[in-house]
Amino acid sequence: MADSTAIASGPEVAARPISQAALWRRRLGGGSYVYLVPSLIFLIAFTYYPIGFSAYLSLFRWNVLNPERIWIGFENYAQLWREPLFWLVLRNNLFYAVGAIPTTMALGLFLAILVNQKLGRARGVYRVALFYPTMIPMVAAAMLWVWIFNPGIGLLNYYLGFLGVPRIEWLYSRHAALPAIIIMSIWKNFGYFMLIYLAALQGISADLYEAASLEGAGAWARFRAITFPLLGPTSLFVFVVAIISSFQVFDQVFVMTQGGPADQTNVLIFYIYQHAFRFWDLGMGATLTTMFIGLLLALITLVFLTVGRRVYYEGGA
Amino acid sequence: MQRRWRVWLMSLAVILALAAFPLVTSEAQAPGKLIRLTFYYPVGVAGPLAKVIGDMTDKFNKENPGLEVVPVYSGDYDPTLQKVQTSVMAGNPPDIFIVEISELPTLVAMNAIIPLDDYVKKAEGGKYWDDFFPAFRENSILRGKIWWIPFQRSTPVLYWNKELFKKAGLDPEKPPQTWAELKDMAKKLTVREGNEVKQWGVTVSGGWNDWLFEGFVRQNGSWLINPEGTKANFTSKEAEEALDFWVDLMYREKVGPPHSTWGSTPPDFVAQRTALLYHSTGILTFLRNSAKFDFGVAFMPRNKTFGAEVGGGNLAISRKIPKERQDAAWKFIEWMTSSENAALWSIASGYIATRQSSYTLPAMKEFVAKDPRYLVAREQLRYASGKMMAPNFQKIREILKRQLDDAVDGKLPPAAALAQVQQQVEAVIKR
Amino acid sequence: MSWVARRAAWRRRLRLNPLATHLVVGLVALVTVTPYLWLLSTSLKFKTELFTPTPRWIPWPINWGNYAEMFDRAPFGVFLTNTVIVVCGILAVQLVTVTLAAYVFARRRFRGSNVLFMLFLVQMMIPIHATFLPNFLTLRSLDLLNTRMAMMLPFFASGYGTFLLRQAFKQVPRELEDAAVIDGCGGPRFLWHVLIPLARPTLVAFGLISLVSHWNDYLWPLIVTDTPDVRTLTIGLGMFVQQESGADWTLLMAATVFVTAPLLLIFLVFQRKFIESFMFSGLKG
Repeated sequence: MADSTAIASGPEVAARPISQAALWRRRLGGGSYVYLVPSLIFLIAFTYYPIGFSAYLSLFRWNVLNPERIWIGFENYAQLWREPLFWLVLRNNLFYAVGAIPTTMALGLFLAILVNQKLGRARGVYRVALFYPTMIPMVAAAMLWVWIFNPGIGLLNYYLGFLGVPRIEWLYSRHAALPAIIIMSIWKNFGYFMLIYLAALQGISADLYEAASLEGAGAWARFRAITFPLLGPTSLFVFVVAIISSFQVFDQVFVMTQGGPADQTNVLIFYIYQHAFRFWDLGMGATLTTMFIGLLLALITLVFLTVGRRVYYEGGA
Repeated sequence: MQRRWRVWLMSLAVILALAAFPLVTSEAQAPGKLIRLTFYYPVGVAGPLAKVIGDMTDKFNKENPGLEVVPVYSGDYDPTLQKVQTSVMAGNPPDIFIVEISELPTLVAMNAIIPLDDYVKKAEGGKYWDDFFPAFRENSILRGKIWWIPFQRSTPVLYWNKELFKKAGLDPEKPPQTWAELKDMAKKLTVREGNEVKQWGVTVSGGWNDWLFEGFVRQNGSWLINPEGTKANFTSKEAEEALDFWVDLMYREKVGPPHSTWGSTPPDFVAQRTALLYHSTGILTFLRNSAKFDFGVAFMPRNKTFGAEVGGGNLAISRKIPKERQDAAWKFIEWMTSSENAALWSIASGYIATRQSSYTLPAMKEFVAKDPRYLVAREQLRYASGKMMAPNFQKIREILKRQLDDAVDGKLPPAAALAQVQQQVEAVIKR
Repeated sequence: MSWVARRAAWRRRLRLNPLATHLVVGLVALVTVTPYLWLLSTSLKFKTELFTPTPRWIPWPINWGNYAEMFDRAPFGVFLTNTVIVVCGILAVQLVTVTLAAYVFARRRFRGSNVLFMLFLVQMMIPIHATFLPNFLTLRSLDLLNTRMAMMLPFFASGYGTFLLRQAFKQVPRELEDAAVIDGCGGPRFLWHVLIPLARPTLVAFGLISLVSHWNDYLWPLIVTDTPDVRTLTIGLGMFVQQESGADWTLLMAATVFVTAPLLLIFLVFQRKFIESFMFSGLKG
């Protein structure tokens, strides 16, 4: 007999006698839980257990010179609080977010609007040309941009020279290194944002624009009144994705600057990596990891409280 | 549309099948009792050195039928150390590895390697150890025991662009001998266009600027960390003067770039963007093959004395492997560091041959006769001493580099920067 | 004027100036593509031709040798194989876990389903970058370091995939399922014969996104692999850079071209599918 733990409906099914086993199964939600077991094994093992484990580890001193873990309570956190480099790292993350996120979003939106116009055959070409950086590993893009950012013979300084811009030392300047990484990240990511906005734009009915135009609204007014508000949920989604990925910056820093010069490009994930795999200070690494996860969870809660509910329950069309 | 899918799926399946092939076949082991040793090694300078190592291990394997050494290229010094430490902590370390010399105290603290005194005493009828250059032997010894054998060793040197010297009206055969001369010549060699520097006078390469700084301190007659790795001496007057000299060059006079990476400066030199370059002797071959101009190699200029730090990596044997493998590993190390092979390695790489007797071999004599620039670093060994080392050296490096970077940007005076280093390093050493 | 013509006229006013649009978009597209062109150009140059005072876009003489030499220096073929194995392995298992989970979340009611689904959603926002250290320690104690499996394990469950697929499965009307149940095709058979085929576009979209993002993984493979026999393309490139100490740019650029080419080529061939997948990877509405 076929497994019929689906919600029973119709007189035919209700008339059949139900065995004790089937009743129990129905009570426990039936065999549904079994379907979740494969996923749950991995989710627990590689997402939830690590969260708990790193919180636990953060309460110990554990490094290459102290192979036995020593309980120190919140000492790691206190040490971090006092460490100026930690605050510098957070500041770098903040600068990066402020520099990269609005710019990438604006650029993505702007191009989405333009590409959404009737451009004929060229539209496909434009989309590919603007989106292809997403297909390249960040490492490869980073290598390429190290070459482009070369102060003496790099492409960027050469063409900037035509615009009268004095030579910038880019990755070797304490002031220009982080901006360089931001520029490179924008180049890499804006195509993806553009696509998301493009999809959303195509969901806005042309009639709305027509009506507005009939009322005498110009392009900018139409944008402010129709496009921008209706893209609200999309923008929020893009924003959240952007924030989470801004904290994941690692590859570029690892390849291009190794955190320098003078830790001006040292970001959180690289900082954790340094502690865990350079200094082998696993206790401190766990502390930083726990703080980072705490930050993410706070962010998630915020998102859920504001918009999440709508998304969550809206499962269908 | 449907067909495309099937095709894609089929090709994926084919790729997977092909990919699985090496998985299946690689497990085949040679019959008989073969000891297979893994050998992790870094490459710290430009050039096809991975190939050279491959060739050398092939030769060793052919000459020693019961042994097979598998070389594993592990990146630069930092990643190699990381990989070694990871596998030591995971309980399956590589049998043999090369790691940067300052990491000795850390390796000993991790209980990762075995002392080699017994092997060394018996090697080459007792004459083995004394044949190594004294400066190289220093970083092998900790608390009276010999822990590892010098292999790819270098000192920093000063490269100078003879063509640019001529252009600036300087004698192309006379590189700067003292700090004062260096500053003077660097000023003449810096070419500016308005506010922009088109050509730097002197570049003190970043990336391993901590290594170079130690050299400057030695040129001023002092030291930074004692050989046992227990005392730090960053706030000496001599260290302050050395850092002040850097600040002078890179911040006040602006004849040198304050920041760069270890890999970016050799191309800068080749592109003639800098007339003088402080870098390892190991890039000499790369420069020779890439530069279109005549250049010279000189001792680093002295202040109170000529002075240099040695650098590079040594060969070590893991502790947590059976004695039989340790013996086999020693065989390999002894072979790699024989007079002939040390010469071969030096010729192929540009590193200094670690054995004094290597320089008496005809192949070596011929090589240096053709290009005497390869001898400069060896000559400088007279003034060289061991590189500073301490437990948790990675952290110490970061601390020092950060303050050096901040100082040459004028963020804080040299005395304050060095005081910070002293304080933080002491905390690390005490831990 | 007829109302049709009037409407068309109004519609035309809605459009931005097409010439200006083409110009701006074209310019941005050009700027975006330029770096890759420069990459190709540099990869075909000789070492000594690299330091010309003005950038030379067309390399002359052309040096194909860089591509041969890079294989000599590092086993890029092995790296490619490893990458393919890893991304396909991840996707294969993901398809199983995701399909099963999405099915019950979409079509069944059971106690605690809301809370459990929450677990999946939260996982979407906790990337490997947050958990790499404890996961590394886990794999170390399982003695799985330096294996291809290590690179795949943490990704076998996907909250994102489950979420996407659940949405797709929910689209299928109740009546269809009831009819199927009556015909004796309930539960897993319904899943296999009806839901999955109907949700194929979503599965494809998810598959492409998974392939691309794991092809480009760096941090995680970096810390769990040591030796070249399991190394992937991205790590291989990173280490190749160190090997050359950043000095031999022509070789480095050739290696970079090789590492980026497979995915880019597949992208160019199947571009519409890729673009569609990524476009609708966001939440609807």
